[in-house]
Amino acid sequence: MIVETKHLIKKFPVGKSFFTALNDINIHIDKGEFLGLVGPSGSGKTTLLNIIGSLDVPTEGNAHVLGKSIKDLSAKESAILRNRHIGFIFQTYNLFPVYSVYENVEFALLLQKKTASERKTAVMQALEWVGLTDKAKARPNAISGGECQRVAIARAMVKNPELVIADEPTANLDKANSFHILDTMKKLNKELSTTFIFATHDEKVMKFLDRIIYLEDGKVINDETIKTESL
Amino acid sequence: MFKFIYNGIIRDINRSLLPIIVVTLGVFFTIFLSGWIQGVLFDMIEINANFTNGHVKVMTQAYAENESQIPNDLAIIGVEELMDSIEKDYPEMEWVSRIQFGGLLDVPDKNGETRAQGAAVAKAIDFSNEKEIERLNIRKALVKDNNSRLPKKSGEILISDDFAKRFHVNIRDEVSIIGSTMYGSMMFSNYIVCGTLRFGNQLLDKGAAIVDIADARRYLEMEDASSEIFGYFKEGEYNNENALKIKNTFTHKYTKDDDEYSPTMKTLTDDQNLGVYLSMTENMSAIMVSVLIFILSIVLWNTGLIGTMRRYSEFGVRLALGEQKKDIYKTLIYEAIIIGLIGSITGTVLGLIGVYVLQENGLDISGMMKNITMMMPTVFKAKLTPNLFYIGFIPGLLAMILGNALAGRAIFKRNTAKLFKELEV
Repeated sequence: MIVETKHLIKKFPVGKSFFTALNDINIHIDKGEFLGLVGPSGSGKTTLLNIIGSLDVPTEGNAHVLGKSIKDLSAKESAILRNRHIGFIFQTYNLFPVYSVYENVEFALLLQKKTASERKTAVMQALEWVGLTDKAKARPNAISGGECQRVAIARAMVKNPELVIADEPTANLDKANSFHILDTMKKLNKELSTTFIFATHDEKVMKFLDRIIYLEDGKVINDETIKTESL
Repeated sequence: MFKFIYNGIIRDINRSLLPIIVVTLGVFFTIFLSGWIQGVLFDMIEINANFTNGHVKVMTQAYAENESQIPNDLAIIGVEELMDSIEKDYPEMEWVSRIQFGGLLDVPDKNGETRAQGAAVAKAIDFSNEKEIERLNIRKALVKDNNSRLPKKSGEILISDDFAKRFHVNIRDEVSIIGSTMYGSMMFSNYIVCGTLRFGNQLLDKGAAIVDIADARRYLEMEDASSEIFGYFKEGEYNNENALKIKNTFTHKYTKDDDEYSPTMKTLTDDQNLGVYLSMTENMSAIMVSVLIFILSIVLWNTGLIGTMRRYSEFGVRLALGEQKKDIYKTLIYEAIIIGLIGSITGTVLGLIGVYVLQENGLDISGMMKNITMMMPTVFKAKLTPNLFYIGFIPGLLAMILGNALAGRAIFKRNTAKLFKELEV
């Protein structure tokens, strides 16, 4: 099991009272799932991603990610969990503009203190997965939005994480690029058995998902496994 | 990671250019101003040492008490023997005797009657001692327009160019000094003007006259006597520690409490003002460095804050990717060290060039010094000293690190729970 939440509640202080962003969430996510958290704005998708990604902690209940109790992790242990086991893909790519594509992907491995040769092998492999080996020396401002998001995928995948978390990864992409990105992630999911969790309300993304968890007002209102489009 | 940081600094001009410029300018001014102020103060001390104080000065105790009145009746007697003795005791010093005396400088007409008179403070030195001529800068002070030259024979005098112009005295004119001998009787000495002097300092130029010490001794009845004996370190520069040692041993050997005519010694720092100047030259670098660190730190703190805001997304991504806050903070400090080093080296090179240029050429401010009565140089020169090669690194590096360290604290306030929202923008 990759993720398990039990009676997970997350509240945020609003003035003198509290806003309940997540209310009694109980989900299981297994290795190799290609799963989406779907729901309108304010439904709790990103809050749940934050907790699964060890960026935040539950108010009540708990989440276990890769066997680690999120509630009990120190800041340092959370950082180590993210560094070694979780990849992140953001809506706006968030590449480092002054570094090349190669260096952007390499950064995650620098944090792991891998040797230069280990880094080179892993980075070239990751760029090959996303079809950008020829753009290794380019800067982010010299490549397209779709290519930037593929670099972000390579950066998330280069450390071979068990789990990749993506928050609206296609929100800034056109249909063709969205398809390309999702196709790439789906292939990696199948080939490497990496678990992908998306937060999305993009119809294009939903067509690729194996499982959709619908959230509304911080609650799971539906959890369905679906038959996806063939690749 | 070093390569990652270094590449970031080199490629991201916004991250590095402004701090490098700030550090470079700060270091440049630290070095340039330190070198310049040290040079000016050093010159002030040297001028005072050369003209009035020596590095050490020997007088009788009684003369020392009334020094400002130039009381030659209290002068040292038995100078030859005393000079022989102190030359043996302190071979590291060069000793010279001088006589100062005041009087009226009288300019006669062609009938020998007084045409003009003015007060003069005359200095009698040994013109056969080339170092004395150099020390008092006489050769350079000789006015070239009227064929001035140094005295070559007995009975020749150099007078200030101001005096000569005021009283229409020409080269080869006869002048007289009217004063009193060491024993109080009237002294009337005749001289031929062989040159006029312009030192560029009112204190020296107003009513100054310089004669050979042998002539002065004869006229003032000061055979084997001298107002003062000046001691100069042979290595050239004043050394306060050694000067105090010499003073202590001299006092122990020669000064007698019950004899006011026994010799006593003063060091350059015994003059209150010069002591302050000397202390300033020693502390100037520390003062400059402290001020610059303070100013630069504030500037670089703000620069760092702007940089941290600009790189808000970068730090957010790095946190999300699993870099710890303290590690991001460390990289900011490493960046500060690299930027500080680049700025410090550049600023040091530029500062040293500036100091060297000002040391060689100086800044002539004689036009502004006409009414200044302090003994100070009219050409402000810098002085290239060994400490200038490293003092810039202290404010350069320290201020940069301090600035980034203060600005970087914002990292620790970052809430990782908000990263996804923050990075959506």
